[in-house]
Amino acid sequence: MTRRAAALVALVVIGIAGAVAWTALGPSEKVVVVYVSEDEVFSEPILEDFERERGIRVKAVYDTEETKSAGVTNRLIAERRSPQADVYWANEPIRAEVLRQKGVSAPYRSPSAEGIADQFRDPQGNWTGFSARARMLIVAKGAAGNPTSIQAYTEPRFQGKAVIADPRFGTTTAHIAALFTVWGDERGKAFLSAMRRNDVHVASSNGESADQVAAGAFQFALVDSDDVSSRQKQGRPVEGIYPDQGEQDVGCFIVPNAVLLVKDGPHPEPGKKLIDYLLSVQTEKKLAYSDAAQIPLHPGVDTPPAVRRLETLKVMHVDYATVAAKMEGIQPLLKDWVGH
Amino acid sequence: MQRRLTLLFVILVLGVVCLLPLAAMLGQSIFVDGRLTLTVYERLFADPRPYWTPIGHSLTLALVTAAGVTLVGVPLGVLLGKTDLPLRRALAVLLAIPLLLPPYISAVCWFDLLASGGLLARVIPAGAMESLSGCLFGLPGCLWVLIGAFMPVGMILTLVHLRAVNPRLEEAARLFARWPAVLRHVTLPLILPGILFGTILVFLLAMGEVGVPMYFRYPVFPVETLTQFSAFYDFGAASAAASPLLAITLLVLILERRCLRDKTYRLQPTTPPRKLLLIPLGRWRTPALLGVALFATATVVLPLVALAVSSVSPCAYGEAWSRAAASLGRSLVLAAAGATLLTVIGFFCGYLIHHRALRVWGAVDTLTLLLFTLPGAVIGVGLIALWNRPSTAFLYTSAAMVILAYVAQYTALTSRITVATLANIPRSFEEAAQVTGAPWLARVRDVVVPAALPGLVGAWLIGFLFCLRDLGASMLVYPAGQDTLPVRIFTLMANGAPSLVSALCVILVAATLISLAILGSLFRVTAARR
Repeated sequence: MTRRAAALVALVVIGIAGAVAWTALGPSEKVVVVYVSEDEVFSEPILEDFERERGIRVKAVYDTEETKSAGVTNRLIAERRSPQADVYWANEPIRAEVLRQKGVSAPYRSPSAEGIADQFRDPQGNWTGFSARARMLIVAKGAAGNPTSIQAYTEPRFQGKAVIADPRFGTTTAHIAALFTVWGDERGKAFLSAMRRNDVHVASSNGESADQVAAGAFQFALVDSDDVSSRQKQGRPVEGIYPDQGEQDVGCFIVPNAVLLVKDGPHPEPGKKLIDYLLSVQTEKKLAYSDAAQIPLHPGVDTPPAVRRLETLKVMHVDYATVAAKMEGIQPLLKDWVGH
Repeated sequence: MQRRLTLLFVILVLGVVCLLPLAAMLGQSIFVDGRLTLTVYERLFADPRPYWTPIGHSLTLALVTAAGVTLVGVPLGVLLGKTDLPLRRALAVLLAIPLLLPPYISAVCWFDLLASGGLLARVIPAGAMESLSGCLFGLPGCLWVLIGAFMPVGMILTLVHLRAVNPRLEEAARLFARWPAVLRHVTLPLILPGILFGTILVFLLAMGEVGVPMYFRYPVFPVETLTQFSAFYDFGAASAAASPLLAITLLVLILERRCLRDKTYRLQPTTPPRKLLLIPLGRWRTPALLGVALFATATVVLPLVALAVSSVSPCAYGEAWSRAAASLGRSLVLAAAGATLLTVIGFFCGYLIHHRALRVWGAVDTLTLLLFTLPGAVIGVGLIALWNRPSTAFLYTSAAMVILAYVAQYTALTSRITVATLANIPRSFEEAAQVTGAPWLARVRDVVVPAALPGLVGAWLIGFLFCLRDLGASMLVYPAGQDTLPVRIFTLMANGAPSLVSALCVILVAATLISLAILGSLFRVTAARR
């Protein structure tokens, strides 16, 4: 028995050594390593298309809701002295901006970025935005008196009937921070206080908020557009409303994907090819027609009827670098808000 | 000399795999711009008032979960491992299933069941459903899910340790007393180290839990570490934020050592174990079976049915298999390798702790338990800081990193199971072999390991299950393109079709049960040949 146990241990050691050797000595040409914060269910088909069309193998690391989609960002920061990734596909520009500030990114101006508005690009070319989500209100389909503005969170008629994802994390933090940059701190704080008084519930994530509205537990929630479209694809009785589209309104907060080249990554040339591919009109069209239903940032890209074109939306104008800085500044406030 | 050298070698391995990543992370919290300072801690805890409520919540959740798991898991373990209850093996397997699923998935299953449009809404009146789904949010929901998720820990540890009890002691006691008294005065005191370890383990697991409390909107302290990682990307502050958890772990360890552990040594058996004695339930067989079956239905079958119903879709299983077959294979291989390594290292650590063979036994015990308590992300970043260098890139970019993460996080499991197992093996065994002049390694190989085999198998099993479901540390160190199944399930949960995610969970459960069934058969065949 003990000999068998020793043989088993030896087998395990050999297995581990084999795995190490196979990974370390495997073919390194025509490979690109990409870390991805965009949901795997949307990003994997695009990366598979790239593999097939360009003949470059993609090795991906995806993120999870468990880490609030910050797992790969932390991994990139932790690895910055000896980078293992070539490209980072962020699901929002704030993380890309944070990585620029921490010296993780390298400038690269992709020819495919031609036509994307300056608002969605880092001026030095450290990151470039593409295919955007919109922050939308998810509501029960066909219900009377549905809200049309995020101000609905403070209206007495929705007291105790609205839910929002934990504002300390993800795109909800970015949205609140964007409101602070547009409205100013005083109005931002007043908005948060009014939400608290109106008994707004807090969910752990946008997905959970959307599920709770779909399950009838709440009347509306502020979520990302892909949360709405995925619930609609699942046959749930919900619809999405682009908020604040009136003339005097603040507009809809747009959250583009962002892609960056990792500084000193092991495969820079395949990395640049992947960035060119992700920023192409073809990829934006695929993401618009996919379940992600994302809004193309290139002008004139064909979209399905359910996806509004950027030029037809009233967009909240923000500087994403300023929003990134504001996000850190308002964290104590948000922590206090959630704590109460 | 042989003993000293071997144990020193294991300590060296532990130091490299476990201590250095921990030191790397703690270093980031006390060295700022190359200077030794406590500013990170001062900044974080300057005003401790906001932390009292979440710390109180975490302690409440951990204490009640640990108590609940002990109160439910130990009697279940005794019923399934010590009595002639019908179908006890099948029930034990069924009741162990929650351990295969991350608690967050169980929480989602329960929400799917109890939401106003959930599965149970079709059979339960609307008023009752509203009360039930209302109860789900807050402490009651967290407790229900976590006690259900961790109950198998208490049950399996009880089962494992019952097998190591020397039946001669029970036979002797039976001459004077009935079974309830024998259980109370002989059997349960003998397995007290195992029960106690299970309680501590569940306490620590519940203390570190983030996903379920966040889902059920119950503010707990570990969210602070998550916030430092995800909102500030501040590794030093994230490590510092984990310090209250480490302090609580140390306190638990001190309490355990002072109050309880020494009591167990008085009951060491002095003769070799024989066949397990079973308690005849008599007329209680059927009621007991019904009770266990009812419990299993309420806590295990219902969420499993929710998963299975949700996975029923024309192409969910086909898509799940095509997306995750490779991840499943990797998960099983890595978990098996991790569990084997954990069992080997855990055995030597357990031996060191039980025999207090070197002065550092206490430090080894403390280190492994502290690492068990630390959030996986902290260990993951520590491993990256340590191993992501050009000279060790061959290791860092391989699947071996995942195994190192398992060893760093879970050595406490196997070492403590070994300690509890060794407590039931007479010292005279090894002493007798020593008298014959057998060297230490031969004594361990021919005497200690065979006597401890049931406990070591249990340690391997627990290690395998924990490795298989690991997410925290492996998420940060798995090589690009080589994810594990739990990682894949969680990455697909974001906007993936619920049927796909449910199908993946069902595949994970089925694959684990099949693997364990094959291993169990092999073990039985080997044992029968012996």
